[in-house]
Amino acid sequence: MKKIIATLMIMLCVVGGAIAQDELSFERKQAIDSLALEKVRDLSKYIKIVGSKDTPFSEANRVIDRAEELFMSDAEIGVSSIHSNQITFYRVRKYFEHLMRLNYDRVEIEWYNIEYVSDLQRQPDGTYVGVITIFQTFRGYDAEGNLVYKDTTKKDITVYVRRKETQIGGRTIGFWDVLLGDMRVKETTDR
Amino acid sequence: MGTQFSKIALLIVSLLWASVSIAQTIGDFKMDETELYAMTKQMGQFMRRFNYEEDQFGYKLNPKDPKYRNAEMRRQSLPILFDQERYGTQTELQRYFIEDVTKGDSTFMTFLGGHWYSEVSTTFRYNGKDVNVQLILAVEQEGLGSKWVLTNVYCPEFNKLFPTGELAEKEKHFLHPMSHELDFMNIYKAFQDPEVIDFYASKDYQPDYLTLFFYEVKKGNLVFQHVDGLKFHVFQIKDWYFEVSWFDRKGLNSGWLMSNVIYLPEKEKTNLIKFYQP
Repeated sequence: MKKIIATLMIMLCVVGGAIAQDELSFERKQAIDSLALEKVRDLSKYIKIVGSKDTPFSEANRVIDRAEELFMSDAEIGVSSIHSNQITFYRVRKYFEHLMRLNYDRVEIEWYNIEYVSDLQRQPDGTYVGVITIFQTFRGYDAEGNLVYKDTTKKDITVYVRRKETQIGGRTIGFWDVLLGDMRVKETTDR
Repeated sequence: MGTQFSKIALLIVSLLWASVSIAQTIGDFKMDETELYAMTKQMGQFMRRFNYEEDQFGYKLNPKDPKYRNAEMRRQSLPILFDQERYGTQTELQRYFIEDVTKGDSTFMTFLGGHWYSEVSTTFRYNGKDVNVQLILAVEQEGLGSKWVLTNVYCPEFNKLFPTGELAEKEKHFLHPMSHELDFMNIYKAFQDPEVIDFYASKDYQPDYLTLFFYEVKKGNLVFQHVDGLKFHVFQIKDWYFEVSWFDRKGLNSGWLMSNVIYLPEKEKTNLIKFYQP
């Protein structure tokens, strides 16, 4: 966690000093978008590791711990299929455990090179909220190597961005704290 | 011939947004990302494309960039935001709309600009059966930012409680003008038939369905089940109304698209908006 905060602070020192939270320049917004995308890329990486049948159980659990740290504590993941609008809700840990237990002999999880970042909007308490959209393909194979399940999902991930401060060597340093929130996972037409 | 021309025109317009055809290979599968680039993936992206605030690759344009909100770029890119299965690429309405929104005093769509609403189609459990309820929400500014708030609700079950009623029937139900001199001893008549109690209200009376909705939820009679769908109603653009709906389909015309476009002079909007925000 300390490493993450240190990285964030370094990145933001590069893009400029502290400015008022309610006046985000275009460049500052771009820097925050990059921070948020880093988190989403970490999430994509963790989903791939936990989903892989080659990942040992203990390693998968360690990665789930890391994945939980990316999210707000009350974040939920809402999943729906192409055949039904009904959403099944999971807490982050349950979602990953479900992914780990999928009954295939081999799975392929890949991400399209598309990451769409919304504009950041402020909510009443001043926290910035955005949504990042990514796409994933999933293929499950049986023991004979036959493809038995495939889907393409659109994942819309809430991103919360807060301005925070910390004391380092007697100096107050501002940094942007980025956490993921609720994630909507919707199956889309296979392309 | 016309259809073929339309298809070619659509392809050209679509490729403005997806001029990179990127493919990656996974195992035996080749994933073509062109369609996903072309897809209008978020309502926010719809607004950015509508205003030309992002380029064809999906990158946000700096407001200082000459391409930002560029009228000519908008004219070229706006057709992809129409549901082409309904509007084609060359319809008169589409041309008129694009010409109107990109002329000198261009109009742009903004998140905090007001006069755009979400219609969330939901299912609730009501008196032991599932009922469809349309929730209308608007963005409201509060504190340091904004939030979505409920502005109205449409539930057929509620509407049944307040039928328009025949005029002849309505004329039978009133309290005569001298009732006050009798200490309203006759007011019991208003409550004899609960179905027509609202006939005793002023002619200006309008039922407040949102309050009724809150009441039923608070009483535990109306229990949320799930969301079924979402679309947006946009009144923000001068002299136009349009709906934006989600189209999950193959091809280069998918995602959030204009599904219903109507020329609507500003003075005619007022009454219509009252449904969304009474």
